[in-house]
Amino acid sequence: MARLIPVKDPVGRGNRFLFGWVKERFPTVPWADVTRQSVETVQRQLPRSHTEKYELKTVWYWYPLYCLGGISFVAFLITVITGIILGFYYIPDGSDVFTPEGVPTNMAKLSLACINGDSDCPLAPVPFGFIIRGMHHWSAHMMIAAVFLHMLRVYFTGAYKKPRELNWLLGVILLLLTLLFGYSGYLLPGNDLSGGAATIGINMAKASPGPPWLGIFLANLLFAGTDVLTANYILRMYWFHVFILPLVGTLLMILHMALVWVQGVAEPH
Amino acid sequence: MEIELVRKRVFEDRPGFPRQYGPERTDRQPGLPFWPHEVYRDLVIIFLMTAIIFILSAAITPPVGPAKNPTVQPFIVPDWYLLFSWGLLKVAEILPGGVIPDPTGTGLLGPINVDAAFWGDNLTAIPVAPLLVLPFLDRGREERPAKAPLRSALGIFMIAWVFSASTYAINNLIIERWPFLGGDDTLKWLFVVPPLYAGVAAYVGLRRLGYREMYWWRVVPIGVALLLFSIQALDTYLLQPLDAGRSLGDHAAQLMLPQVQALALLVLMFLAAGVVTFYAVTFLDERRAKALLKPFVAVWLILLVLVMGFVAMEQPASFDFVLFQTMPHMHLIWGAPIFILITAAVGLREPYSAYEYLLNECYQCGKCHTACPVTKVEDDALGGLNLVYNTFKKQHDGVPLWTCLACDACSAVCPLDIKYSDYILEERAKALGSGAAAAGTAHD
Repeated sequence: MARLIPVKDPVGRGNRFLFGWVKERFPTVPWADVTRQSVETVQRQLPRSHTEKYELKTVWYWYPLYCLGGISFVAFLITVITGIILGFYYIPDGSDVFTPEGVPTNMAKLSLACINGDSDCPLAPVPFGFIIRGMHHWSAHMMIAAVFLHMLRVYFTGAYKKPRELNWLLGVILLLLTLLFGYSGYLLPGNDLSGGAATIGINMAKASPGPPWLGIFLANLLFAGTDVLTANYILRMYWFHVFILPLVGTLLMILHMALVWVQGVAEPH
Repeated sequence: MEIELVRKRVFEDRPGFPRQYGPERTDRQPGLPFWPHEVYRDLVIIFLMTAIIFILSAAITPPVGPAKNPTVQPFIVPDWYLLFSWGLLKVAEILPGGVIPDPTGTGLLGPINVDAAFWGDNLTAIPVAPLLVLPFLDRGREERPAKAPLRSALGIFMIAWVFSASTYAINNLIIERWPFLGGDDTLKWLFVVPPLYAGVAAYVGLRRLGYREMYWWRVVPIGVALLLFSIQALDTYLLQPLDAGRSLGDHAAQLMLPQVQALALLVLMFLAAGVVTFYAVTFLDERRAKALLKPFVAVWLILLVLVMGFVAMEQPASFDFVLFQTMPHMHLIWGAPIFILITAAVGLREPYSAYEYLLNECYQCGKCHTACPVTKVEDDALGGLNLVYNTFKKQHDGVPLWTCLACDACSAVCPLDIKYSDYILEERAKALGSGAAAAGTAHD
């Protein structure tokens, strides 16, 4: 008769079996060790706050302004989340069609009308779409404002100086990317603002300093044409807005924040 | 008795008492810890932001507007963050145009059309390009704004400049709405004059904040502004009307007109403000200048509001006349007196006391205490005291005001060069009511 061995700690055994199966295939322990070591040795200041790192008891009245970079990042996250939702309903088609009354319109504008719950929506309106679009709009504005103010804070505290020069350059690039985010974003609805801004953009691209072929190349690259009448710029801008800019921007933002983490926040005494 | 309590650390962490109030300093980490303080604070900020965005999006739905119409060029205004670029595009019409021919003749490098769009592209780089080279031009250590007045004033100048460029982007709307501005030239000067005013006033104020030598920095900007104002006023309101070829009798008759009298009153009030301010900052010492200017400006402002209010209520035609006569020259006629008053205010203001401005740089190294001879004989000084820091935090007056020897041993060892004895002397001078304190020369 087999002796019944009471199983001690059945939950633990189950866990060990389950996670052991995973660990045999994906050995995570060495990686965790390396990470912990780097946290504990190389980046000893990592979990420390600013005031702890510099052993400050005083709170300078500028410190509230030190949250502006974080605010712009949080606003960016909100635009990403709401932007993903908007992407389900938005139609990036800017080619002109005409209503039975002969009024020009386009699918981008009509899909926006459905998202916004406007009366000219040809399909079913998107429930709470106006909230999602409003959040995308306002958090984008908040992000741009926060980026500007963040840059001013860094400028006025002299935080761009050694050793943070490269991070400042990265920040300038991120500022330009943010402006491009905004610009490509308000070209997407296919409304009158979009058309007018695309006209200006195409003209400025064509006039870019240099020989004429360069401007034509840039206009073709960015706006898919050199004339706002024929250029299908909305699809092009959609691709910039939802793929290229988020990809490059997110990578650079992570790099930007990683450098802040490594170099610390400036403490101008 | 009390010393026993202190040794037992009874008072630690009580309000008003320093944390380390004993001879041996502990390893306790000062500052707010990351967890939970900073994490909670960040969460509060994040939730607040999300709430604001929710409320905004529920309250104000951004309209989509009519669909784009390829046959109609709509009147549009770009979003606010691109206005500066559009303003530069518009102002580029004053720049020379033309065609740069291709030097090679192959069509690879030209011809380049130099037009408004070309200049718009290049001018947009003006606010951006300096940002790229900034960290390589401005070296050294990070500093508070008051310690780097030139850089900070340049920053204010650039902010004002970008703001002017953004304003100029809607120049036609502004002229339509306020026709008394006279025309586009008035708005073009927005690119030059207001940024200069803002930059110079900021520089003067920041010098004051940093306890720097002030006299000429008050006299020269105010004097130049007063001179420019006088020239403009003389030319516009005296020489040009006289040149118009009317007889003296016509002028005398014209002076009886109520709208001319209102204009003369306004210009003379501006002139009086400039002259009195210039006199005060040039010929009086600081205390007398302030004693003169404070009541003068208060009375002057009340009078200005009363007079202009009276004219606007009782004689709307005269008010319009005044606006149409002054606003085309607003940068000097209105701007210069405002600049003069603001520059005098920031240049004469009581700077942050040494107490606020200098002592708050302390990061509690405690060297001053080690060096201080007075703390060796003071009973309550118990070794862990930090002169500057405790004085700043009002936790404990580091050295009682009248026992400090002003030997400057603390300043000699201070890594941040905080002049504690200057502070003590300033406080004593204030207590004695001496003029030395208000002279603002504690550091010079």
